[in-house]
Amino acid sequence: MRAPGYALKLLARDYRAGELRLLAAALVLAVAAVSSVSWLADRVGTATTGRAAELLGADLVLDASDQVPARFADKARATGLSTNWTVGFRSVVLAGNHTQLVSVKAVTPGYPLRGRVLVKPDLAAPERPADGVPEPGHIWVESRLLTLLDLHVGDTLDLGAASFRISRLISLDTARGNIFSSLSPQAMINRQDLAATNLVRPASRVRYSLLLAGPPSALSGYESWLKDQDLTGIEVERPSDSQRGVSEVIERARRFLGLSALLTVAVAGVAMLITVRRYAARQVDRVAVMRCLGATQGDMGRLMVWKLVWLGLFAGGAGVLLGLGLQSGMLAMLSGLLPSEMPPPGWRPVAIGWLTGYAGLMGFALPTVLRLRRVPPLRVLRRDLATPGRGAMLPYPIAVAAVLALMWWQASDVRLAVTVFAAVLGTLVLLAGAAAGLVWVVRRRQRRRGGLLQLTGLVRRPATSVVQIVAVGLGLMALLLLTVVRTDLLDAWRGRMPPDAPNYFLINIQPQEVPGLTHYLNDEVGVQTRLLPMIRGRLVAINGRDVKPQDFDAGRARHLVEREFNLSYRQQPAAGNRVVKGRWWNGSARPPEQFSVEQGIAETLGIHMGDHLTFQVAGRRVTAKVTNLREVQWDSFNVNFFVVSPPALLKDFPSTYITSFYLPPDRTDVLPELVRRYPSVTVFDVGAILRTVRSIVDQGARVVELMAALTLVAGIIVLLAALQVTAEERRFETALMRALGATRRRIRGMVRAELLLIGALAGLLAGAVVAVAGHVAAVYLFDLSYPVQPLLIVYGAAAGALVVWVAGGLGTFRYYRVSPMQLLREPENG
Amino acid sequence: MLAARGLGMHFAGPEGEITLFRDLDLTIADGEAVAVLGASGSGKSTLLGLLAGLDVPSSGRVYFDGTDIVALDEDDRARLRAGRVGFVFQSFHLLPGLTALENVMLPLELADAENPRAAAEDALKAVGLAGRMAHYPAQLSGGEQQRVAIGRAFVTRPRLLFADEPTGNLDQSTGERVMDLLFRLNREHGTTLVLVTHDPELARRCDRVLTIADGSLEEQAA
Repeated sequence: MRAPGYALKLLARDYRAGELRLLAAALVLAVAAVSSVSWLADRVGTATTGRAAELLGADLVLDASDQVPARFADKARATGLSTNWTVGFRSVVLAGNHTQLVSVKAVTPGYPLRGRVLVKPDLAAPERPADGVPEPGHIWVESRLLTLLDLHVGDTLDLGAASFRISRLISLDTARGNIFSSLSPQAMINRQDLAATNLVRPASRVRYSLLLAGPPSALSGYESWLKDQDLTGIEVERPSDSQRGVSEVIERARRFLGLSALLTVAVAGVAMLITVRRYAARQVDRVAVMRCLGATQGDMGRLMVWKLVWLGLFAGGAGVLLGLGLQSGMLAMLSGLLPSEMPPPGWRPVAIGWLTGYAGLMGFALPTVLRLRRVPPLRVLRRDLATPGRGAMLPYPIAVAAVLALMWWQASDVRLAVTVFAAVLGTLVLLAGAAAGLVWVVRRRQRRRGGLLQLTGLVRRPATSVVQIVAVGLGLMALLLLTVVRTDLLDAWRGRMPPDAPNYFLINIQPQEVPGLTHYLNDEVGVQTRLLPMIRGRLVAINGRDVKPQDFDAGRARHLVEREFNLSYRQQPAAGNRVVKGRWWNGSARPPEQFSVEQGIAETLGIHMGDHLTFQVAGRRVTAKVTNLREVQWDSFNVNFFVVSPPALLKDFPSTYITSFYLPPDRTDVLPELVRRYPSVTVFDVGAILRTVRSIVDQGARVVELMAALTLVAGIIVLLAALQVTAEERRFETALMRALGATRRRIRGMVRAELLLIGALAGLLAGAVVAVAGHVAAVYLFDLSYPVQPLLIVYGAAAGALVVWVAGGLGTFRYYRVSPMQLLREPENG
Repeated sequence: MLAARGLGMHFAGPEGEITLFRDLDLTIADGEAVAVLGASGSGKSTLLGLLAGLDVPSSGRVYFDGTDIVALDEDDRARLRAGRVGFVFQSFHLLPGLTALENVMLPLELADAENPRAAAEDALKAVGLAGRMAHYPAQLSGGEQQRVAIGRAFVTRPRLLFADEPTGNLDQSTGERVMDLLFRLNREHGTTLVLVTHDPELARRCDRVLTIADGSLEEQAA
C-alpha cells in the first residue's frame, strides 16, 4: 500500500462525504486567524512605528552638539536612505521692543522625512500641509508667538543678526520633539539663513541632527554598520525612544494585539480538539473494516498521519489565503487611519500560519486519530467493541503543550504567553471541575426523583455534557472577554487620556504670582488647577560617588545627567502616581531627607531603594535617601516629576511654579489676557501633540476590535462544534422517543430545558472567570484600574442560555421534521 | 384492531421510480400474532414502519382501532403510540447513558405513568434481569440487552407490539430464549404482535404468516 497516495484518496472521499468539513473549517479558521493577525500585526506594527517616526521626523536621528561627521550621511545615502539636516537651538526674537525666547529649527528642503508640518497663511485660514520649507529670508512661527509679540503675518522680526518676514503660522510640526525640552514657541527658518543670524558659534548650545529614513532593510543594514562606529558625542534616537507617552501607548496597543492573537490560537485549538474527536469517532467503523481486510496497525498509523499531512497542506493553504484576504480587508477598513503607503505583506505570516496549522493538527488531532489504529477488527461483528481505553486522555496533555508552544511563539513575550496560557488552562480546569460538579448534582437529583425526561441530556450523557459546558463556556469567555471586558478596558485606557486632558502648560510662574494666578485661573477662567513648585537641580552624586555623563552607556541616561532635573516637593503622592516599592512619607515625614523617584528613571540611571542621591540646587548640595519608587501615568499628560521630596527638604530653595490645565478651543481668547497680566509666565500649547497621540490610540483600538472579531468567530465555531458533538446522539434519542410515543412539542421542551441549562451553566462559569480575568489582566498586564464586575456573571448566564438555545435549537430542528422511521434507518455512527 | 387498505410505497431512484409494494391489504385482529416473512430488501421493515405509524405511505390507509393514522400528523400518531404500542428492534436501540432500569422506565415516563420505577423493576424481573438493573447497556451481553428491550416494550402493557428481526443480532440459542420470552409475555398480556423476520422457523410460531415478495403480500396457511 502506498500510504501517501492512498491517504489522499481517502481524504478526498472523507471530504466528499462531509466528514471533514467542520475539522477543515476549524483548521482553516485557525490558520487564517493566526496568519491574518500576524500579517496585520507586522504591517500595522511597521506603520505604527511609522507614526512614532513622525514624532521624530525620521526613522533614525543622529544628534550631536557639533556637526555630525559627513561619513554618517554618506554611508546612509550609499545604503539607500534619504537624509536631511536640521539645526536646533534656543534664542530670543526681537520685534519692536518686545522680546521672546523661542526654539529655532533651521531646516533643509525635504524636512521632515517622516510626519508632516501643517501651516496656515494667517490666523483665520484653515491649516494645510506645508509645501516645502521656509524660503530664505522667511520665518514660520507658532501662532502664540504672534500673541506674545503682538505681531501679524507679514510683519518682520529679528533673530540674531538677521531679519525675517513672518510668512506662515505653524499649527503642527509632528517632529516638534519632547514637549518638556521645547517649552518656548517654535520658529522655523531655512538652513541657508543660519550663518546670517550669527547665532551659532563654537560655545553655543546647538543640536545638530542628521535625519535618516528609508526601507526597513536599508535601515537595519545602516544600524549594523553604526554599531562598529565611534559614536562619541553622538546620540542615536529611534522612534521607540521618542515621546514617552506615545511609546507607552504603542506598547499597550501591541499587548492588546498580542493578547487577541493568543486567544484566537487557544480558541481555535479547542475547536479542533472537539471536531477531531467527532471525526475520529465517525471513522471507527471504516477502520475496523480496513483492519478486517488485512490492514496492519502500522498501515493504519501511516494512513492517518498522511491524511493529516494532506489536510494540513490544503486547509493550511486555504487558511493562509483567507488570512491574506482578511488582513487586506482589515487594512482597507483602516485606510483612513494608516499611512497610504503600507509595507507589502511579507512571507513570515505564511510560514507562521502553516506551521500553526500543522502544530495544531499534530497537537490536537494526531493523538486522537492515531488511537484509531487500535480499533479491533472484530468490531465489524461486535459493534459494542470500542477502541481500547488506554491513551484516551493522551491527546489532552499534548494539545496543552502545543497551545503553550504556539502562544510563546505568537507572543514572543514569555510573561504574556505564560499569563494567558495559565489563564486559559486554569479556566479549562475550573470550568471542567465546576461543570462536572454541577452535572453530578443535577444527575443525582434527577435520578432520585425519577424525572428522566427533564434535563435528560445531563443525566444520560454526563461526560459530553461536561465537554459541552466547558467548550461553550470557553467560547462565551472569549466572547465576553472581547466584547464587554475589552470595551471596558479600552474605555479605561482611553479614560487615562480623557478628552479634557491638559492641553496648556504654564511654567516660569514666580512664587509671588501663585495666589493671584491661582485665583485668576480657578475663579475667572474657570479651570480647576493646582500650581506645583519646581526646583532646578543637577544630579551630582549617587551614594557619595560623583556622577559623570560618560559613566552611562545609554544616551538617555547621559542626557538626563547633563541636564538639570526638575525637582518638586509634596505631602501626598500626586494623582496617577503609584508607589511600587517602599512607602510614601506620611505626616511630618521624618527625617525630611527623603526622595521619591520615578521607576523608569531609576532604572535608566541605576538608582535603587536606599541609595543616597545628591543634587546641586542653587549652589548647595542636597542629599537624601530614596525611600520609595513611583510608577507614573505619563499618558495622562498631567504635570509629573521624576524626583519628589517631602516639603521640609526643598521648600526653602528658590523655585518657580508649573501647572497644566484643559482649555476648551473656544476659550483660547483668555490667553492674551493671561500673558498681559503675567508677562514672565510662559504658556505653551500641547494640543497638537495630544491630537497625534489620541489618533494613535484610536487607531490601535480599531485594530484590536477587528482582531477581536476573529477570535469571536473562533469562539462561535467552538460553540457549534460542541453542539454537534451531541447532535448524533440527540438525533437517535429523538427518533427513539418519538417511536415510543413522545410528541415533538414534548421533545422540544426537553431539549430546550437541557440547552438552556447547559448554556446558563456555561455562561455562569464563563462570566465568573471573565470577571476575575478582566480585573487581573487590567491591573497586572495593562496597569489600568478595573474592578471585578459581578454583573458579568448575569450577562454570561443570559448570553449562554440564549446563544446555546438558538444554536442548539437550529441544530436539532431538523430532527423533529423527518419521520422517526427515517431517523432510525439512517446509518448509525459508531 | 389494525388494518391496511391499498397500501403502496414508491421511491424516486436513480433510474426512475422504484415501487417497493402496491395495493397491500391487511387486517390483524386483537390478540393475534402475525409474522411478516420476506427476504432482505423485500420491504418488510418498511411495512412494519407504516403499520406502526413511524412513516407515511405513498398511497393507501392504515387504521388503528378504526382511526386512520395516515390522516393524523406526526405528533398525533406519537400520542396514539404512547403507552399503546411497543417496539423490539434488531439492534436493541437502548440509550447508552441510561441504566437498564432507566431504559425500561423511559416509555412509562413518556406516558406520564404513576410510579414508573416500580413498574420498570417488575418488568425487568419478568425478563429475568433482576440482578442487572443498575447496569449500563455496554455492561450487558447482546441477549441481555434484547431482554431489556423486551422489558421496555412490555412495561407499558401495550396492546400492540412490533418486533423487527428481534433475533437478528443474536446467536441461535440466545435468540431462541429471547423469542420464548417474547411469546410468553405476548400470551400473558394478550398483546397483538406483528413480527418481521426472514426466519421461517420463527415465523411458524405465530398464528398467521404473511409473506412479502415482489411487492405483494400472500398469506400462508398456518
